[in-house]
Amino acid sequence: MLEPASITDGAVGSADQKGLNVNSSPKRSFQKLLRIILSTPSGVVGFGVVAAHVVVALIAPAIVLHDPLAQDPNQIMAAPSWTHPFGTDLLGRDVLSRTLEGGRVAIAVTALSALLALIGGAAIGITAAMRGGWFDSLTMRLVESIGALPYLLFLLVLANAFPGSAFALVPALAIFYSTSIVRVSRAAALSVASADFVTAARVRGEKAITVLLREVLPNVLDVVLVDGALRWASMLLGFSSLSFLGFGVAPPTPDWGLMISDARNVMAIAPWAVFWPCVALSTLILGAIFLADAASKAVGLQRAPEGLNP
Amino acid sequence: MYRSRSAGVMVLALGAFALFSSPALSETLRISHNLGLGGRESLDPVSPNRFLPAIAMIYDRLVNPGKNGLPEPSLALSWNSSADFTEWTLKLREGVRFHNGEPFSAEDAAFSLKRILNPKLASPVRSFLGIIDSVDAVDATTLRVQLKQAHADFLMLLTDYRVRMVSSKAAHGDLDAVLDSGIGTGPFKLSKLDARNTTVLAANPEHWEGKPGVEEVDIIAIADQDARNQALLAGQIDLASVAPNEVGLFKTNKQFVVQQVPAGKFNPIVMRTDVAPFNDIRVRKALKMLADRESLRKLVIGDANGSLACDEPVWPGDPYFNSSITCPTDVEGAKRLLSEAGYPNGLSLDLYTASVEPIMIPLAEAYQAQAAKAGVKVNVKVVPADGYWTNVWMKPNRPFVVGNWGQRAADQVLNEVFRAGAKWNETAWNRPDFEALLDQARSSASFEERKSIYGKAQAVLAEEGGQFIPFFRNETRVYSSSVDNVSHVPDNMLPWHKITKK
Repeated sequence: MLEPASITDGAVGSADQKGLNVNSSPKRSFQKLLRIILSTPSGVVGFGVVAAHVVVALIAPAIVLHDPLAQDPNQIMAAPSWTHPFGTDLLGRDVLSRTLEGGRVAIAVTALSALLALIGGAAIGITAAMRGGWFDSLTMRLVESIGALPYLLFLLVLANAFPGSAFALVPALAIFYSTSIVRVSRAAALSVASADFVTAARVRGEKAITVLLREVLPNVLDVVLVDGALRWASMLLGFSSLSFLGFGVAPPTPDWGLMISDARNVMAIAPWAVFWPCVALSTLILGAIFLADAASKAVGLQRAPEGLNP
Repeated sequence: MYRSRSAGVMVLALGAFALFSSPALSETLRISHNLGLGGRESLDPVSPNRFLPAIAMIYDRLVNPGKNGLPEPSLALSWNSSADFTEWTLKLREGVRFHNGEPFSAEDAAFSLKRILNPKLASPVRSFLGIIDSVDAVDATTLRVQLKQAHADFLMLLTDYRVRMVSSKAAHGDLDAVLDSGIGTGPFKLSKLDARNTTVLAANPEHWEGKPGVEEVDIIAIADQDARNQALLAGQIDLASVAPNEVGLFKTNKQFVVQQVPAGKFNPIVMRTDVAPFNDIRVRKALKMLADRESLRKLVIGDANGSLACDEPVWPGDPYFNSSITCPTDVEGAKRLLSEAGYPNGLSLDLYTASVEPIMIPLAEAYQAQAAKAGVKVNVKVVPADGYWTNVWMKPNRPFVVGNWGQRAADQVLNEVFRAGAKWNETAWNRPDFEALLDQARSSASFEERKSIYGKAQAVLAEEGGQFIPFFRNETRVYSSSVDNVSHVPDNMLPWHKITKK
């Protein structure tokens, strides 16, 4: 097999010197990224917090002490106690159980949206970079137009059209939050597109899709994943804002945004009903940001010579 | 240089201090309104967009609601009727003047009542005052009202919070005119109308009951309940109604007085009787039977903050309240009825609600949990509070919603909410036999007989109607301790002019 590095011009620098994955698979690039993330303190914290949240969300129904929907007329806004360690809310429901289950819908909806945004955004961004010309221009103008829309207002309108169906928001969330992924993946792909090993692959007569998947994708995946993590963090905040405003998750499903909204009028009487969902939501978002931050540092260090932007 | 600059900063700071910390005028009572009509609030008392509580301060009624809802003199001093209760004569107070200096006369009273009957103004009041056939001013202080049908309690209808006296001269006698000039005979005069911000009313020193207790009333628009509570806590407003579960914010604070006024406010879960599946009486019955009302009251407002109800819209404080209606919880019975109605596996319903009143979402959630026990899946759909009354409530494609009513006298609520064609007939109730009962009650001379007939009408609603009313709630009012003389009565009856402020 032709070694791309060996045919490079010394003045440009070899692929290895540039930190490019010449012979890599997406899986290996992901593993490498994870390894680097876990070598920094903020990466460990971020990964730990996010993983803990995801695990809790998955097993919550099995570990909660009370039914999070069970209302108790005799325990309205009860202070924390042994039976209800986080107290109870306006309708006498257990705040601990609701907090533990409160991230399930938000995490599911935003993770699904982030995944869609990641796949769709990267596919469009890389294709735009590889094809160039009118397709590239059109894509970028479209991305800029979407970026100009007030997304929260737009989401509110959508949520109002489909009240109570949180999953109806997935396509909209994915589209809004994919714009930056399109930009980032396009920029990263542009810097790879001109690399000699890509040219070599083309010269070999590889199909465009093969070049894209085997030569370009592994080299931009890390950058795209970092941006995806950041998008996920801001999506969580956006989705919870919708729930807070009454447009995300339908009652009585436990959801942090909804719990904060329900209890905010009685914040001075039953602070626990607001405090714990706030803690849960902010730790998850902070964790996601730490994770993305550690990842971007890792990637940035490695790819600094080319830079993340064109 | 440094010195002069710091001096300048100090002057600026002092200026700002003077601007923003001008001591609250002790003579100004500051209250709020919830902007429920989104800024379309009108000073026309009969408009569906009537601006509460401004209209109660600017205009006077002919008669005020007194104890048990019975009429007490206001602009009318005395009244009597023909033996068959079809003709009523009211003697009006002399020497009363409008804010523009014009004298108040029977002409104005006749004009004010005729406006209510004008279909062009689409007043909700028309649904129960539609029985007026003609109104005449016999002389300057005598008003004669001819009814289409007998009504022994006609004067009780005139105690409604919207039946207020306006100036016919200010409207140039035009019955179609929408009256937004704010010319009334009331204890306060309009200084500035700005429903979205602050509406300012000034005391009317010429008021026939004497000078009001404060110089000025500011009505500040605060749409959000939480913001309203914060404004009260921070001393930006002096008085507000709060949700029962928010009382804890003020109870232990010596700067505030919490007033619990027994009242008949209610939040029904409304089923439109003309839309499937609610057009099936078995479904309506089942949806009421499955409820544990005591637990709903305890969950949503607390035991002490209201009285239990059995779907009759007449509250226990009303002289015509039917106390013999019972409504035990029967989940199995509900399941059986649903099965008979063709829903052996239960059914799924979308219940629309909004935070128009703080308890409207918790009520929906509490009911949802109880309905689940009878196999009814209630999907609570929370929609925006602003525009709820125009876009969601009473729309045939939203047949299952949470409603919100203030306390009303028996005859009023039964006619205003349950007559076919009434503007606010939220359950689309259309029952000639029921309306015949109401007519019969109105024409009866004996109180006991009226009570028995109104009682029957309530029983019909409890058994077959489309409103599920689990409880009536009290008025929970909180005011600053600098405010005094706040009468222990619901908002619709409150004599605002008696309130004083230290």
